[in-house]
Amino acid sequence: MSVDKSLLTGSTTMLILKLLESEDMYGYQMIEELNRKSNNVFELKAGTLYPLLHSLEQKELLTSYEETVEKARVRKYYSITPKGRKRLEEKREEWQEYTAAVNQVLGGASFARA
Amino acid sequence: MPEPENLQQQNVADAYLVAVRQQIRWKKAQAPVLRELENHITDQKNAFLSQGLDEETATARAVAEMGDPVTAGQQLDRNHRPQPDWQLLVLTAVLLLLGLFFQFLMGPDLYDGREVFFRQLLWAGLSVLAMLAAYFLDFTIMAKYPKLFFGALSVLTAVYYLGAGHSYFRMGTIYLLMFFPTAFAGLVYGMRNQGYKGLMLCGAALLIPVWFAWLLPRITVLLLLGVSFLVILTAALVKGWFNVRKPIALFLIYITTITAVLAIPLGLIPAGVYAERSLEVILNPELIQVMINPALDPSGFGYMGTLLRQHLLHSRFIGQGLPLGDYSGALLPAANTDFVLTYLTYHCGWLVMLAVLALFFAFMVRAFLLCRRQKSVLGFLVSLAVILTLAVQCLTYILANFGILLFAPLSLPLLSYGGRGLLTNMFLIGFLLSVFRTGNLVKDETVPAAVKISRFIEYENGRVIINLKTHTS
Repeated sequence: MSVDKSLLTGSTTMLILKLLESEDMYGYQMIEELNRKSNNVFELKAGTLYPLLHSLEQKELLTSYEETVEKARVRKYYSITPKGRKRLEEKREEWQEYTAAVNQVLGGASFARA
Repeated sequence: MPEPENLQQQNVADAYLVAVRQQIRWKKAQAPVLRELENHITDQKNAFLSQGLDEETATARAVAEMGDPVTAGQQLDRNHRPQPDWQLLVLTAVLLLLGLFFQFLMGPDLYDGREVFFRQLLWAGLSVLAMLAAYFLDFTIMAKYPKLFFGALSVLTAVYYLGAGHSYFRMGTIYLLMFFPTAFAGLVYGMRNQGYKGLMLCGAALLIPVWFAWLLPRITVLLLLGVSFLVILTAALVKGWFNVRKPIALFLIYITTITAVLAIPLGLIPAGVYAERSLEVILNPELIQVMINPALDPSGFGYMGTLLRQHLLHSRFIGQGLPLGDYSGALLPAANTDFVLTYLTYHCGWLVMLAVLALFFAFMVRAFLLCRRQKSVLGFLVSLAVILTLAVQCLTYILANFGILLFAPLSLPLLSYGGRGLLTNMFLIGFLLSVFRTGNLVKDETVPAAVKISRFIEYENGRVIINLKTHTS
């Protein structure tokens, strides 16, 4: 299933913060996880993800640390900060308000059949 | 796997990384970003390989999955630029200009005030150059040659001290000694996982500047060295830097630092030449009491302290203070050097003094916040060292200006008269801002997993930990 990508851009930050809410992850893992959880709807490109992760880190919504894995490869893990959790909560509320409004305009629960 | 094919696959990935790199203008930022992307390609490739794709297709698809390298590179470029801290830069400029203005203001009250002002102006110009040089310096060189820096500074200090001849010129050694905390931070950084041996080396290094401080003798420098070394070592230990048992190590460093600071006057280490005066001051309880409470001996050792307090007692909130009574006509000696704050309070009012203190406070708080935010232990320790060097100067200076003369003031950074002090502090501030500008990128060298010194059973924070594995990574 393909979805208009512009719908994604505004909410990618929220999705990333949500992913990191429960555990620390590295970039590749996030893309995989997002893909799996959204039944392949959200196919985030690495070229989009890393600039976003780095800017979230600069805004102190995330922190990162490195961990050496097999064969001395260094993996960069991201971890959500208290400030990041707060932002996630705000974004979630915003999103719910927005989708509720869209649904209402589309005509309540029956919009899918319209 | 045939060689050329491998090479070709490598080229696809490399071409992607090169294209990204070309967009990232800040050279220092390139390596860590590219490493992360390279790791990602490897992960993606391995996933495709496990799906049954062949090496070549897996690599090509993994790179294709990355998206457009130019767009990604441009966005990464926007994320990775040096980050000058404008708040601290502005505060530095304000303090420097304010210092010059105060020197100009005090000019008429001094014997050769105008000349003194122009001399300070010249030094200010030089110190701005020194600051800029330090600002654009890559502070990570501290990590590459920590022992060399510490050693060179020690030699320079010794040469300066011995070459100075007269004790008046020798006092210039204090400005070199003010660099020791920063050099020490580099040294501590270099002792990662060195255990008690590393701690002992740091302790031994401490003796060098401490010895010179005693030779001069300047108790304030001793305080500066002692406090900053203890704080730096404590911070490093808390971060587990030496890989030793923390409570024991903390106990050891406090005992040894205090012993090192006190050992020389107690004759345990034959310094030989230290001035007797310093011994009298330090070991005479009556004199210490007078230094804290000058009213005990207002016309003798307590004269200076009493004079300072009289100035403050007759100061008003805004504007020139009230006449000094018995002390009228008594000028504050070396007001432009040692007692700028008292002078300002008396001549311009408490408000001005409070405003100046607020500026310093803002500087310290901001600097400390940025220091705590440093990701690398190197950036953290180096910035901490500079902050401590500045803070101890400020605190002892403020105490002295309130008439507590236990620690003779060194300088009030950027405000008090004295070219070398200004130069030193401006260089250190430049170095501090250099850490904050580029510190985001600095990563501590990852060292191969060290063998932790552990026992089978450990007790920590109310928990008993049983180590089934003796090797932890």
